[in-house]
Amino acid sequence: MSALVGLLGVVSLVFFLIHMIPGDPIDVMLGESALAADREALRQGLGLHLPLYEQWWNYLTALAQADFGHSLFSGRPIVDLLLERIPVTLHLSIIALMVAIIIALPLGLLAATRQHSMYDYGSMGFALFGMSIPNFWMGPLLILVGALWLGWFPVSGQEGWNAVVLPALTLGTAMAAILARMIRSSLLEVLGEDFLRTARAKGLSSLQAIFIHALPNALLPVLTLLGLQLGGLLGGAVITETVFAWPGLGLLIIEAIQQRDYPIVQAAVLCISVTYILVNLLTDLLYAWLDPRINWQSPL
Amino acid sequence: MANNIARLIWLFLMLLSFTWGCTESAPESTIRLGLAIAPTNLDPRLATDAPSARVNRLLYSRLVDFAEDATPIPALATWEALTPIHYRFHLTEPRPTFPNGAQLTAKDVQETYTSLLDPKTVSPHRGLFQNISRMHTLSESTIDFFLLHPDPLFPSYLVIGILPANLIEINHPFHENPVGSGPFLFHQRPDASRLILKRRKDAQLIEFVKVLNPTVRTLKLLAGEIHLLQNDLPPELVTYLAENPSISFQHKQGSKFAYIGFNHQDPIVGQNLVRKAIAHAINRGQIIQYALGGRAQLAQALFPPSHWVGASQLEGYPYDPARARELLHQAGFTSERSPTLIYKTSTDPFRLRLATIIQEQLQQVGIHMSIHSHDWGTFYGDIKAGHFQMYSLAWVGLKTPDIFRHAFHSESVPPLGVNRGRYTDPLTDDLIVEAEGTSQTNQQQRIYRSLQARLLDTLPYLPLWYEENVALSTTAIRGYTVRTDGNFDGLLDIQWTSSTTHPQLARQADP
Repeated sequence: MSALVGLLGVVSLVFFLIHMIPGDPIDVMLGESALAADREALRQGLGLHLPLYEQWWNYLTALAQADFGHSLFSGRPIVDLLLERIPVTLHLSIIALMVAIIIALPLGLLAATRQHSMYDYGSMGFALFGMSIPNFWMGPLLILVGALWLGWFPVSGQEGWNAVVLPALTLGTAMAAILARMIRSSLLEVLGEDFLRTARAKGLSSLQAIFIHALPNALLPVLTLLGLQLGGLLGGAVITETVFAWPGLGLLIIEAIQQRDYPIVQAAVLCISVTYILVNLLTDLLYAWLDPRINWQSPL
Repeated sequence: MANNIARLIWLFLMLLSFTWGCTESAPESTIRLGLAIAPTNLDPRLATDAPSARVNRLLYSRLVDFAEDATPIPALATWEALTPIHYRFHLTEPRPTFPNGAQLTAKDVQETYTSLLDPKTVSPHRGLFQNISRMHTLSESTIDFFLLHPDPLFPSYLVIGILPANLIEINHPFHENPVGSGPFLFHQRPDASRLILKRRKDAQLIEFVKVLNPTVRTLKLLAGEIHLLQNDLPPELVTYLAENPSISFQHKQGSKFAYIGFNHQDPIVGQNLVRKAIAHAINRGQIIQYALGGRAQLAQALFPPSHWVGASQLEGYPYDPARARELLHQAGFTSERSPTLIYKTSTDPFRLRLATIIQEQLQQVGIHMSIHSHDWGTFYGDIKAGHFQMYSLAWVGLKTPDIFRHAFHSESVPPLGVNRGRYTDPLTDDLIVEAEGTSQTNQQQRIYRSLQARLLDTLPYLPLWYEENVALSTTAIRGYTVRTDGNFDGLLDIQWTSSTTHPQLARQADP
């Protein structure tokens, strides 16, 4: 119920905000040379002549019937547009997350098990470096090296199986930096626990103790962070998608805002909100699945 | 727990496999052109943006075209003015054909313009053709246009691409599936950022690829993923590419007119003395040399001197800070009471850079200017509503002098026209009306030149420069020539260099 109220709040807020910012979609569609009568006819045809509260009510009524409407510009159903773009963003997000985990896990592990050593400082230095580099700079830099100097990947676009590598690396390295720090601190906490001492006392080697007992326990808080990161990525990695001309949800929203294509912006933001709620729900469920100590029964 | 983590990874990989997919690549032999903005509407009756207009030129034939000096010349048809309100157009042989092999006829012309005038079509160009009272098809290749009142510029409006009448009747979605008789055929639109056309004479595929970021467009050209770029690059990237031996560079004087607009209802810039002071305070020559890399020509009027109404004799406002200070003083401003202005522009980094240079130059003469940059929709909305003191914009693709009425007549304040600065000058209005009522070209030319002198004196716009058109291509292709108005007609002749010729193309040629 609270999720529904949250969603209603988000869609209403977005509806009023996008309609309140200056700029008229009719101007973008017809230019300034169109006849006043044609402008008015188009405005009426699109229902933009109605009072704002009436447009809002019509929008909510349609939404309740799962009708997202049509793009003001292309006239295409918005469901079709979202179904085209969401898998593209999902694909990039998952690979970026994998890249992040592949980089962050060994770094965090190394930093925690060799605390205050050169490995620790090196790993955390990398993490700081990764967090500090903005994606709009990292992207072109990776293009320069990966596409231009080495010629291994395409510069941008979605053509070819390897086109995802550079945008995923751009997003992944930034996420890896945060994840590595989280893994390190979480692991350091677990390494001091009694059950780990017991495991070692029972004859497990350090590596076995870390991989079998410490790491799975340390990863639980990391999972929350991963959920949040994935939610953010699915909301559209706007800068990365722009740099790499990756035709995902982020690029769709940017173009729709520029054109004042209200129905697309509204539907895309709704989609992002739902995604956040779902990813958070999924994270909670995964928590319970991974850690038997957590259950959903209310305390007596 | 370790088992559960393994299951989680498996689930993750499964999800990944569901989303795995990449768009289909065009064949290797395709020539690719990088664009900052993709064409949005492939129906010439509806398109308003420059990329759509340029692509539609390739897909559709039109009755009339323009010579280098922007005088109307025959394209599909020659014409004669039988009376000032009666024009007869004769389609020239051989007439082009539509993809189904049918020849373009006068009926197609009539249906195209009839549908354009139909309010149901909601064409943004309908206003331009309101003067047509009726059309009459005399034969397969002759059509008469009757006007409500004389307009000597009428033939130059007939540049809309002609659609096949049979498809107009069934409301064919031309905007996404164009059917024309131009030198190119619509081939494929794999997604919103890609459009592939096929050249009729040899089946050469040309792909338009939208890449928003100019640095990435440059890198794609260097990597050979696209073969040609035209305009929309910051000057430093143009210079960088032009110096690269693997890139061919060409530039041509353009007609893109950059200007600063003033709000004539504003108490400060509404004063002609202040506008003239600003004109003298801005060192346009230096901006062209250093910020634009020398790839622009100083402008004194809306049309360049090469245009048939171009006014090459206009002298303009030389950079003279002392004169600017003197004019400000005459306007009642002193060092203690200096004018403070707001300059509005878009968020484009290059336009912002230009704004900061102008800000610095105005500061030198004692004008304090703050820069307000907004996203395009907000900026454009403010300009239309008259919420500005100064703004900078550019006119692209101006051809006909009817723009003077549209932009400077006192009755053309938005939404009736684009007189955004609320400029009112009885002499300007009179000159516009006089020019419109004259049928003799020489007389029209003289009046329009007087009008441009008046505009330069009263400064509704401060003319800045005409930006050059630049084209940068890889050495894998040849034959492309850049045009004055930045259209893509050069794609008619673009070819692979001999070492990269694709022989299969000849076999696929359209008869």
